[in-house]
Amino acid sequence: MSVSERDSAAPVRPAGRRGKPRPVRLTGAWWAPAVGLSGLGLISAIELERTNAGREVFFNVQQPWIVYILLAALTGLLVYGFARHATLWTVGKPTPGLLREIPMRARNAIRLGLGQEKVRRDRYAGIMHLCIFSSIIVLTAVTAQVALEDDTPLSFLHGNYYLFFSFYGDLFGLIGMIGVGMALYRRYFDDFHRIRWDERLEDHIIIWGLGLILITGFGVEAARISVTELNGFILEDGTQLEAHPDWARWSFVSYAIAEPLGILDLTQDQVLAGHTWMWWIHVILAFGWLGLLVFTRLDHMIFAPVNAFLLRTDAPGRLSKIEDIEEQEVFGVGQIQDFTWKQLFELDACVRCGRCTEVCPADLSGQPLSPMHLIQDLKAHLASVGPEVQRRGHVGGDVREVAQLEMVGEVIKDETLWACRTCGACVQECPVMIEHVPTIVDMRRYLVMDEARVPATAQTALENMEMRGHPWRGTNRTRESWMEGLGEVPVFDGSQDYLYWVGCSGALVERNLPVTQSVFRLLRESGASFGVLGQEETCNGDPARRLGNEYLYQILAEQLVETFKAKNVQRVITNCPHCFNTFKNEYPQFDGRFEVLHHTEFLEGALTDGSLQPRHSLDSSVTYHDSCYLGRMNGVYDAPRQIIELLPGVDLTEMRRSRSKGLCCGAGGGNMWQEEVGERRVNHVRTEEAVGTGASEVVSNCPFCIQMFDDGVPAIQPEEEGRIRPFDIAELVERSVLGEDGASSNGAPTATT
Amino acid sequence: MHFVVCAKQIPDPETPPSAFRIDEANNEVIPAPGISPVLSQFDGMAAEAALRIIEAAGEGKITVISLGQESAQAAIKQVLAMGADEGILLEDDALQGGDSYTTARTLAAAIEKLGDVDAVFCGRQAADWDMGQVGLGLAELLGWPSAIIAKDVQIENGTMHVQRVLADGFETVALPLPAVVTISNEIGDPRYPKLQQIMRAARKTVNRWSAEDLGLDPSTVGDAGARLKLERLFIPELGGDVEIMEGESAEEQAQNLATTLREAKVL
Ligand code: SF4
Ligand code: SF4
Ligand code: SF4
Repeated sequence: MSVSERDSAAPVRPAGRRGKPRPVRLTGAWWAPAVGLSGLGLISAIELERTNAGREVFFNVQQPWIVYILLAALTGLLVYGFARHATLWTVGKPTPGLLREIPMRARNAIRLGLGQEKVRRDRYAGIMHLCIFSSIIVLTAVTAQVALEDDTPLSFLHGNYYLFFSFYGDLFGLIGMIGVGMALYRRYFDDFHRIRWDERLEDHIIIWGLGLILITGFGVEAARISVTELNGFILEDGTQLEAHPDWARWSFVSYAIAEPLGILDLTQDQVLAGHTWMWWIHVILAFGWLGLLVFTRLDHMIFAPVNAFLLRTDAPGRLSKIEDIEEQEVFGVGQIQDFTWKQLFELDACVRCGRCTEVCPADLSGQPLSPMHLIQDLKAHLASVGPEVQRRGHVGGDVREVAQLEMVGEVIKDETLWACRTCGACVQECPVMIEHVPTIVDMRRYLVMDEARVPATAQTALENMEMRGHPWRGTNRTRESWMEGLGEVPVFDGSQDYLYWVGCSGALVERNLPVTQSVFRLLRESGASFGVLGQEETCNGDPARRLGNEYLYQILAEQLVETFKAKNVQRVITNCPHCFNTFKNEYPQFDGRFEVLHHTEFLEGALTDGSLQPRHSLDSSVTYHDSCYLGRMNGVYDAPRQIIELLPGVDLTEMRRSRSKGLCCGAGGGNMWQEEVGERRVNHVRTEEAVGTGASEVVSNCPFCIQMFDDGVPAIQPEEEGRIRPFDIAELVERSVLGEDGASSNGAPTATT
Repeated sequence: MHFVVCAKQIPDPETPPSAFRIDEANNEVIPAPGISPVLSQFDGMAAEAALRIIEAAGEGKITVISLGQESAQAAIKQVLAMGADEGILLEDDALQGGDSYTTARTLAAAIEKLGDVDAVFCGRQAADWDMGQVGLGLAELLGWPSAIIAKDVQIENGTMHVQRVLADGFETVALPLPAVVTISNEIGDPRYPKLQQIMRAARKTVNRWSAEDLGLDPSTVGDAGARLKLERLFIPELGGDVEIMEGESAEEQAQNLATTLREAKVL
């Protein structure tokens, strides 16, 4: 990430700096529950004092009712804190569709939130979180049981259950300690750096605090065991507590501490005094620590599962449609209040773990985008201007005049937004389910449509789409050039099963023409019934949408959906993962519902059912590059690998980053048409990884990826001898099915180019 | 200030060579199927130059005029989206098919009809026929001073300062207003319009003026008034011939090569 990106959080000036800072006005009766709950706590405290039910639970502790005062204070604090957060979120626009698909949302909350599925993508962190999380849950349950035993007529902490209770309480205390140990190790001793990219005081406080709570907890228990269960004790009211070393052993950790304490020869009073001290430290730490829930990133304990619930339930490759775009006052997101409240909520959920930035192709290449800093900068901006925006929204006033800095342009720089590949790696990794891509594209929309600030090369592509229906300025091919020499190419007329969609890159970019021809020959060889549109194809709009020109996208998409419908298209095979994603996931927004296959899927089917016979052995070692829009966005990881498996003589070596962890080639998100700024180019980084496998070919299934590799290879391997060669998977299949010279299996000559 | 930008719609210069066809019998270009005509790129730059001046001044009005067919509306709208205020399409059967002279004549009539024009901005040439005549002809017919192939235009106190691109450098000239200037690509790319403006432009109506509206005698404009006659339109045959130089040694081969080249009058 660049310096400028990091710094951009700093200059956010507080709102309301013209006059005195105004008090935050909170919406709704937030204080009612806070006061109510605090009141309940107070009543319990008074009640406790009146009945003086100290008993064993508050063993050796004077004024235990103070605990309830603390509880009341904590409750008030938590409610107040969350209300403040919520106030900021309400600045955002409504978030449509959150109440649809509740069962799926509930599953997400459990699987991704409580089950921490994404956290586990980093195994160390997964184990650490599991330890701490389970420990907090169990120990909270332990504490709650103690409170129940004490404050209600219920009584169950005796007999065998009590022993078991002692055991698992200690066990999970120990597990918690292991988790804390792992966290401390990672923070202070491991070379591991991403959690230190944006380290703050609170990070140290949280982990040390938790450690101390657990240690003092054991200390308290050890002291109590030492005087009661090990030695026997007489309570103030004269009750005789008999020594029960056999009970004590169940609290195995505390016992292990208490036992050796015996040799210190402390008097009972000394132990009791130590116990009291430790008890108070433990309690105050625990309440204090819980108070951090609303002021530090500890809030992820609550926000992560909630955000998992709020997570989109549709395809990750789909960007939102701006409905009635012509009637909008602002296009996209230019100021904080243009976000939906869900997007604002997400900002608060970020834990600064750095996982997103660690996998971001832009950041990896030293380009000015770090998704973590982007989220954090927006969060700081929200905290800075949110209250004033909220207040003016309430009492009237121009909310668009609040921010002193332009959110898009100053807080978040233009080049930061342009550097994004919409590759989804950040979204894939984020343990609290933040969706960076829609947030970034929303701001791009503002840049392009509202401000018309577009990098020159991207502007050329956009204008070209508008004027010529494709983004490839200066191509000297027509949409039918690839057909030369292929014999008769069937035109789609509605009677065939499939429309073979060639796409702009497949038809107009020199390198991709052979791929189109391979797919065509394989389709013909397989005996499938298909046709093409030729000159009638127009851009489906994907680059426009990813570049932020939603208006142009909608025009192109509506046009093409019309064409498809008019031609009675039911099933489409595409050459390009971007076209695939657009037809499959986005056209339903325009009432275009088609069955869409990427050629990879078609070829896998044809090889499996025998309609294509891989008879020629290729004797080749390959590595496979997962294109983002087939892989992460649509989950097609197995079909291409299955194909490679089925081709005789082909040997697959995976790159370090593959499947859902695959690294983008650098072209996505309209970056195919932009100059890169930064230390390196993403395609060089990825090519290096491909070369590192030692394979002789790098296989993908995306016209952009192949161009990016073609461009990257000479930079990484200046020697022409022994260079890795980029191919589309269809070219590989064709070589195996039709042979190097393209002779058809049934002996009929196939035209070659 | 009131500026006029002249905009021409032309066949897409990026038509792939393989799709470029002509009708030799009628000396006409056959529009390539599926390829829409576009605004001549230099005219977009002319609009950009005019807009920059108006923006810097904070006031002013731009009228975009196009002589062409119905489809030329798109070119006008494009300039309107960039920020021009009004559009006029000079469309009439009588006006079609002229040459640089009749075009200049028609545009001049339109500008005179508008009346209060301070400056006219044209592209240095239309990117289809590349004649580069209309701007100068227009100035001549209007009786205004002109500067062609400009890379920068400023207006100060009623004087237009133009930086002109020369073969070996630049020169700056000052012209009294009203004046005509033709803009070259050195000025930079035309701006990308904001969506608000695109939508505003889409809602604007483009005025249409005919030869009659302009008070032009149909026999002096369009095809009838043209003074330039296109003799023949054809796609040149490209061909090549290879001759391998014989010779015992490199010197001898070089000798033969030189002789052959001299015979062919290349050297
Ligand atoms: S989508 Fe890809 S390029 Fe964009 S921020 Fe996320 S990881 Fe980086
Ligand atoms: S956005 Fe997600 S992955 Fe990135 S730092 Fe924040 S929590 Fe971690
Ligand atoms: S070109 Fe390929 S790798 Fe790059 S963004 Fe597109 S799908 Fe992803």
